[in-house]
Amino acid sequence: MSELTTAARPYARAIFEMADGAGNLTEWSDSLDFMSVVASNGAVKELLSTPAMAKHSGADAFIKLCGGKLGDAEKNLVNLLSENDRLSLLPEIRVLFKAQKDESEGSVEALVSSAKKLTKAEEDEISKALKKRLGRDVKLKVSVDESLLGGAIIRAGDLVIDGSLKGRLSKLTSTMVN
Amino acid sequence: MQLNPTEISDLIKKQIEGFDTEAEARTEGTIVSVMDGIARIHGLSEVMSGEMIEFSNGAFGLALNLERDSVGAVVLGDFKGIKEGDTAKCTGRILDVPVGPELLGRVVDALGAPIDGKGPVSTTEMGPIERQAPGVIERKSVDEPMETGIKALDAMVPVGRGQRELIIGDRQTGKTAVAIDAIINQKGKDVKCIYVAVGQKASSVAGIVRKLEEFGAMEYTIVVAANASDPASMQYLAPYAGTAMGEYFRDRGENALIIYDDLTKQAWAYRQVSLLLRRPPGREAYPGDIFFLHSRLLERSSRVNAEFVERMTNGKVKGKTGSLTAYPIIETQEGDVSAFVPTNVISITDGQIFLDTDLFNSGNRPAIDAGLSVSRVGGAAQTKIIKKLGGGVRLDLAQYRELAAFSQFASDLDEGTRKQLERGARVTALMTQAQYSPLKTGELAFSLFAANEGFLDDVDVDKVSDFESAMLSYVRTEKTDFLNSINDNGDYNDDIAAEMKSTLEDFKSKGSW
Repeated sequence: MSELTTAARPYARAIFEMADGAGNLTEWSDSLDFMSVVASNGAVKELLSTPAMAKHSGADAFIKLCGGKLGDAEKNLVNLLSENDRLSLLPEIRVLFKAQKDESEGSVEALVSSAKKLTKAEEDEISKALKKRLGRDVKLKVSVDESLLGGAIIRAGDLVIDGSLKGRLSKLTSTMVN
Repeated sequence: MQLNPTEISDLIKKQIEGFDTEAEARTEGTIVSVMDGIARIHGLSEVMSGEMIEFSNGAFGLALNLERDSVGAVVLGDFKGIKEGDTAKCTGRILDVPVGPELLGRVVDALGAPIDGKGPVSTTEMGPIERQAPGVIERKSVDEPMETGIKALDAMVPVGRGQRELIIGDRQTGKTAVAIDAIINQKGKDVKCIYVAVGQKASSVAGIVRKLEEFGAMEYTIVVAANASDPASMQYLAPYAGTAMGEYFRDRGENALIIYDDLTKQAWAYRQVSLLLRRPPGREAYPGDIFFLHSRLLERSSRVNAEFVERMTNGKVKGKTGSLTAYPIIETQEGDVSAFVPTNVISITDGQIFLDTDLFNSGNRPAIDAGLSVSRVGGAAQTKIIKKLGGGVRLDLAQYRELAAFSQFASDLDEGTRKQLERGARVTALMTQAQYSPLKTGELAFSLFAANEGFLDDVDVDKVSDFESAMLSYVRTEKTDFLNSINDNGDYNDDIAAEMKSTLEDFKSKGSW
């Protein structure tokens, strides 16, 4: 995974700088979303990994799969990735691109999983508190995980704020064992 | 033992009450790969170098390589149950071990957990395993002797408290024996000892512990063992853990002695860890920082001044200096001291005791090579009497070695040369000493005095050790007070010399050996 990140970083950065210059960050973001979904499809992965898919036919197949939804620049990107044998990096490129986009927009994505569905007021409160802590606008992604028993876990990048009952119980276990 | 139920409930209540229920904020990462005791972790963006990492199976790791997109960590202990995709948490703690007098008499592993089956160790303090050595201003020069009780060492290669003296030699030359004798000799001297066993057979460590118990030496000794079957990470950390335990005593104005047995194996373990972390290999495949590995370790053995001790104890201990003396051990291959690790450690330490295979096999035990063994600061730390009497022995032996080689080709020798050869042969015989029988200062002084004043010259070479043991038992019974006074203050003057001379003449006139 870490090797993939290293390899994907220059592509993501190049796409970001290009899109930022042309002012079409959102379009690129959408088309990267689309391409990475295609690329991470199991059947597509299998197809692209066959030796029979020589460099150009692989790119052509991929573009056809996308069914005319790609612009010229996107097609060039696919050709380039295929030439360097890096088509499988697309999902990773998307993640890095999004992170860079968020950073330039001064926002950050936070995943909140809670034991029960959060009310609108609770969501607002969490995003307000997170904004104070991280110093950026927060885009919340909410999910429900009943195994937490109570409370919630917030993840923003590598930072994890664990306020769940499950986390507290396991911490209690380890303090009592030691 | 009968457990008191309310006591346990109270304990649990206290633990629950004192339990911090705040939401926990931490940085997390995902394990990418685990192999050969090394885990690669993606994420952990705020990890510190040398920080402890907690894995999902409860094991800990040590972050060593901080790279752009991943962290390379060694798993400390069991890496079964750690798998790809698991989360790893930062703990915010630099690796530390329990320290304190409670550890004395115990056998612990590289993380300070007891492995001798005597139950938990109730220490209250922790010490970081990696710590900066005391600076220039905090040190005091070495001027107290660290006596090993071995005649050849105390007379020819003396070591002072706070010094680092390397014990070097091939396998099976008695390196460990010298170190164990030095520990046994500290009995009653208020010196705490730490024996760090790295990469040794568990049976050897058990044997050493048994010997130390037999001589009553375990009560002031901590054994830190990372055996051959333990992970390389533990073998690499064990000397640092032992040093942290020794520093506890040093910083409280006490004296401690630490033995690293041996640093060659620690260097091997570190080489393994480094290569698996994909650090570039250098000479003999050791990583680039192999010198620093040992220099930062040995630099922590030092003598510190009273101000430092006062500051470290917050003013509780005043006017006492502390010391940590180190005897690192290095094993050479075929007597090759110019290999990479031996030259490194020779250049770091304040001298070396060179043990020679040929001497060992010809029965000169301890097999100390007087020519190659040196001590760079020890002379300043010798007791007066040993300094005075020991000088002659060193000279006798040095001349003897040279002449002995030369005289093999000469059939006719002049009187002076013959005398020197005979004296040398007797001094060599005198320097042999059985294992586990360290001598006190006074006894050592009598042996040296007998050699210097020619009392041995008319004793047969193969009778020298009988003569010596008979003489020492005579002195012990007939001159107990005189012997004790030498042991206590170590002075030397004409009166003492005259008394020693008359004692030896009395003994010799009886002819009872």
